[in-house]
Amino acid sequence: MIYLDAAATTLQKPAGVEKAVLTGMRTMASPGRGGHKAAMRAAEKLYECRERASRLFNVPDVERVAVTFNATHGLNIAIRSLVRPGDRVVISGYEHNSVLRPLNALGADISVAGCPVFDREAALRSFDRLIDRDVRCVAVNHVSNVFGFVLPVYEIAALCRERGVPLIVDASQSAGILKLDAQALDAAFIAMPGHKGLYGPQGTGLLVASDAARPLLYGGSGSDSKNPLMPDYLPDMLEAGTHNTPGIAGLCAGMEFVESRGCDAICAYERELIRLMADGLSALRGVHVFAAPADAEQAGVLSFQLDTLSCEEVGERLDRAGFAVRAGLHCAPLAHRTVGTVNRGTVRASVSAFNTREEIAAFIKAVDSVARGR
Amino acid sequence: METSYYLTCRSLTYAQKVSGALSAAMLRNIIVRTPQHMSREGCGFAVRVAASVLSDALNVLARSNIPPKRVYRATPSGSFEEVPW
Repeated sequence: MIYLDAAATTLQKPAGVEKAVLTGMRTMASPGRGGHKAAMRAAEKLYECRERASRLFNVPDVERVAVTFNATHGLNIAIRSLVRPGDRVVISGYEHNSVLRPLNALGADISVAGCPVFDREAALRSFDRLIDRDVRCVAVNHVSNVFGFVLPVYEIAALCRERGVPLIVDASQSAGILKLDAQALDAAFIAMPGHKGLYGPQGTGLLVASDAARPLLYGGSGSDSKNPLMPDYLPDMLEAGTHNTPGIAGLCAGMEFVESRGCDAICAYERELIRLMADGLSALRGVHVFAAPADAEQAGVLSFQLDTLSCEEVGERLDRAGFAVRAGLHCAPLAHRTVGTVNRGTVRASVSAFNTREEIAAFIKAVDSVARGR
Repeated sequence: METSYYLTCRSLTYAQKVSGALSAAMLRNIIVRTPQHMSREGCGFAVRVAASVLSDALNVLARSNIPPKRVYRATPSGSFEEVPW
């Protein structure tokens, strides 16, 4: 199988990840509970995870790195910390349901800063129009999980700072790939999965948190245990219950891979693959590709549609031909409404550092065959 | 047995920061569970150092802006007393 669904989760992991998970399962107990060797080994691994993340994302203090079970978990913490019913929140037109659903469940007053896909200047103008001092917070996707559109998060962050509005960054598609600088962003929260561009196992995530954080889950933390509520300091206030220690060990190994290869190199390689794919698919008859213009930024995600077949049918035929892609709305109906694809959805191909140019060439041929009805 | 000191910390992560700063300054230390009778808040972690390095340790932590919550002296007889610092 040629795996092109890295935007959902990276399936091929660096060799060290599986080994680290196994070592975690065999030798590490629960961090922050017992003081015995197995618990302290787990504690050291958890601290290594926070340190690696601090280096990778330029976080000024390891205590600001909380481990979560996925990006959705982190986004729920962020949103529940900042937003109360009726609060006005500005979001991009490319948000995932992991932002939309918590906001809707809270009864937030949501304003969408819409813009055409791949138009960063229009995105910035929309945010500029909507962010004022009455806005409780801004939540923005760094990269659209449907179109690979890179939103101008640093410029949006500057607007937020200027107007005193807290920012939540959803770095689900950018962590480990694009430059993610916590100090430059100065966001209230940056949420990310561990199992995509950081190459950890599923069930892992990270949240770069600020003093605005409030607990989402309540339970044991191994600290301050006479307190009937959660501790009021990071990261303990956000980490109730037993950690996913084997997952954290794997995430450490994944981040080690990203650090050793370098985000810039990974990003450049993924962009090259996506450009090859976009050019190849665009040349096929009956295939509509959502590719960024040559001078615009696109991350390792590409959506397309075939004129004659439903996206789900295309996905099924590609699966039979040995290619794993995702079809549908990708849990991001707002992005499809913004671009006008909500009725049909798209077929999404997304790459990781482990895909090859040969795989992309084979994929283009396979799509050509499907488009020709062979 | 030499008298040792417990630098209590608000969390395990904080204790790890303290331990890292001391190790970087070549000061021997170990992270341990805080004995209950010196922990007003319940379970927690402390960094234990020998009496001979206490003064250097506190200087390092002051310079690094990571002060301990409290400092306790543990005597060889097993008793603990909080010490001002």
